[in-house]
Amino acid sequence: MDIAIGPRPPRNAEADPRSKFRAGKPPIGGWLPGLAFTPTQTVVLNTIVDHLIPGGDGFPAPSEVNVVAFFGKYLPPDGQEPRWFPFIGEVEFKGRLDALGEDFNGADPTDQIETLQLMEQRDPVFFHRLRDLTYYAYYSRPPVIAAINKNLEAGKDLRNSPQPYGYSDTMDDWNDQLFNNVQGSYTRTEDVRPVELPDALRGTRNNHKVEGGLSV
Amino acid sequence: MTRSNETDVLVIGAGAGGAAVSKRLSDDGIKVICLEQGDWLHPLDHPHLYDGWELERIRSWDWHSNVRQFPEDYPTTGNAAPMMMNGVGGSTLHYAGAWPRFKPVDFRKGTEHGVEGTIDWPISYEDLEPFYAINDAEIGVARRVGDPGNPPRPEGWGPASRGGKIGNKMGAGFNKLGWHWWPADNAILTREKDTRLSCNDCGFCLGGCPRGSIASTDVTYWPKAIRNGVDLRTNARVEKVNVKNGKATGATYIDRLTGERHEITAKIVVMAANAIGTPRLLLMSAQPGHPDGLANSNGLVGRHLMFHSWSFEDFWFDEPLDGFKGPEPAVSYSQQFYDTNTDRGFVNGFSLQVGTALGPANSALGTNTGNTAPWGPGHRKFFNDHFARHALVYVQGEDLPVATNRVTLETDIVDSSGLPVPHVHYELHENDRRLIEWGRARALEAAHAAGTVIDTASTGIGGVDGPPPGWHIMGTCRMGNTPEDSVTNKWNQTWDVPNLFITDASSLPTGAAVNPTSTLQAVAVRAAEYIKRRFPEIVGQKVTPSNTDAPGF
Repeated sequence: MDIAIGPRPPRNAEADPRSKFRAGKPPIGGWLPGLAFTPTQTVVLNTIVDHLIPGGDGFPAPSEVNVVAFFGKYLPPDGQEPRWFPFIGEVEFKGRLDALGEDFNGADPTDQIETLQLMEQRDPVFFHRLRDLTYYAYYSRPPVIAAINKNLEAGKDLRNSPQPYGYSDTMDDWNDQLFNNVQGSYTRTEDVRPVELPDALRGTRNNHKVEGGLSV
Repeated sequence: MTRSNETDVLVIGAGAGGAAVSKRLSDDGIKVICLEQGDWLHPLDHPHLYDGWELERIRSWDWHSNVRQFPEDYPTTGNAAPMMMNGVGGSTLHYAGAWPRFKPVDFRKGTEHGVEGTIDWPISYEDLEPFYAINDAEIGVARRVGDPGNPPRPEGWGPASRGGKIGNKMGAGFNKLGWHWWPADNAILTREKDTRLSCNDCGFCLGGCPRGSIASTDVTYWPKAIRNGVDLRTNARVEKVNVKNGKATGATYIDRLTGERHEITAKIVVMAANAIGTPRLLLMSAQPGHPDGLANSNGLVGRHLMFHSWSFEDFWFDEPLDGFKGPEPAVSYSQQFYDTNTDRGFVNGFSLQVGTALGPANSALGTNTGNTAPWGPGHRKFFNDHFARHALVYVQGEDLPVATNRVTLETDIVDSSGLPVPHVHYELHENDRRLIEWGRARALEAAHAAGTVIDTASTGIGGVDGPPPGWHIMGTCRMGNTPEDSVTNKWNQTWDVPNLFITDASSLPTGAAVNPTSTLQAVAVRAAEYIKRRFPEIVGQKVTPSNTDAPGF
């Protein structure tokens, strides 16, 4: 049976049959416009991330570079199954922030850190997702990239993203003098010979016969 | 207007092998339909411009389909994590583009040791070399000629990718030890070609390439194949390869957009669905006369799965190394320990492949080996000491083809079209464990020769708490010498069904100790050339000829 094809454009964007696949993929860059957090939730989250990556030594604190907004994009909104990293949805995540709430916000920093240490011990899966998302978020922020540029010789050329500029302008080429000393050889086809097997492999040689008498 | 469902050659899969076959056949006017269950990728589908680009690597660009869970993907079960992509380009959409060739000895491992399922290839390096060269020209290889550790190779389309500080540092270390090394050949443009931009050393190769610099087949073979008239059908998931009277007649596919089934009829069918997908589909195609699946009368379909044996060794030095720049997976390689030396207690050998890291988040999160920056007061010092002072050495070993490492069908779990998914079982052979353990010590030796190492970390043998990375999937429908030792003859023609060919990495009898795509694609080009030249004879064959009796070129 042949298939009819022709100029039959979809009536609207929703009619494009590919559109049904979009919901089955995580949007690159996260879900827009991103989750909104309550003031209390925001303070809890900023407090946590500031303990995870303390500012100083020329680097901003996470709370100063809006790490919370990055969280908001990568936490799936309510109704979206958390199938991808960080594998936790809006309702559960906000619920965890609410559980910490004002008690956490008002606690002494030493007690806040102890709370996080307990969380790391008792719920390592959640804690590590929280930590990892914090690291991804913080090191994506332009002010942090600028701090790396300014404070680390190794990072002076780092850009906010790999494209569009790349690094050809600052990438070293090969030192051609190195190639004067390179050694090497290879075994030619006609020089391949059977080896004596190590003791541990004796008896493991297979019995495949080769047409034309090439081997074994 | 209608679209014909009859063709000369049906190709299943639009990745490395399927694209090469489709283009080469259509160069000479052979009518080709290619079925691909994925779709085209847009340059902005890559994460390189997003602030969350490092996170996307474990999300929308994760290598494992079970993590990605795209509608076009199919899940796998078992103890391994095969890394695959579905789309026009297949797994070349996110591959390294590392482009070494197998060495002559790799084609004679049966002669050399024959351990477990190891056999000689039915062809030699010299047989394959012309097709390596054709394929290199098609994809635009970046190369520095003169490697004393390999047979001479032709000039590249462009020079080798720049080595950066890491390449020069590790090169000096290898020289100090008197070990072989050389800049990696890469399927990455260092000079513009067609509509593809040359690499700008952005450092993020394993998320695909929005510039088209990396030779994924959507930007290399497919534009030309489509201009040749190949009918490439996307979102076309093959359900079954059909056979009648001992000959393949075509395949039935499900249009994922409409859910409708269609049947393609073809004089020749070429499988190129990768070393998981091809055996899966052959096993799914059990039918009268082929109760155990197509081309599987000897029970070898799905067996002898190889992934390479691996360890990732991260080294941090006391100076900046710009690890966020340049070709991520392959700056250079040492093949000092490539050949078998049984005094070491194992057969086969390995490459030490030098790579880089990514950006600051990846550095904080442990680079390649879980060496994660602590949270709290120690975070800043750890990060500042480690970021961009790093070199990665992959210990990439040749793993033995073991019959019990295999792909089978999982009958209880299905993909989004209701088709059974593959079950993948893989265990490292003890020989391969010993090989990698020995290789890890050599990687450390090389790092110390290169400079002052301030920290090290390793995945150990087989990755962090798991089987080896399954990103080189090989051997599950291998070509061979007799109908007893293999699934196809030396022309990639299945022993059971003469007009059914297999041209992906499942056809490789051994995996060597290097990245396999240049070799699988050379094999595919060679098979296409054979089909092209011998089309009438192949179509008329009722029995697959032996390697001796096959008409050859």
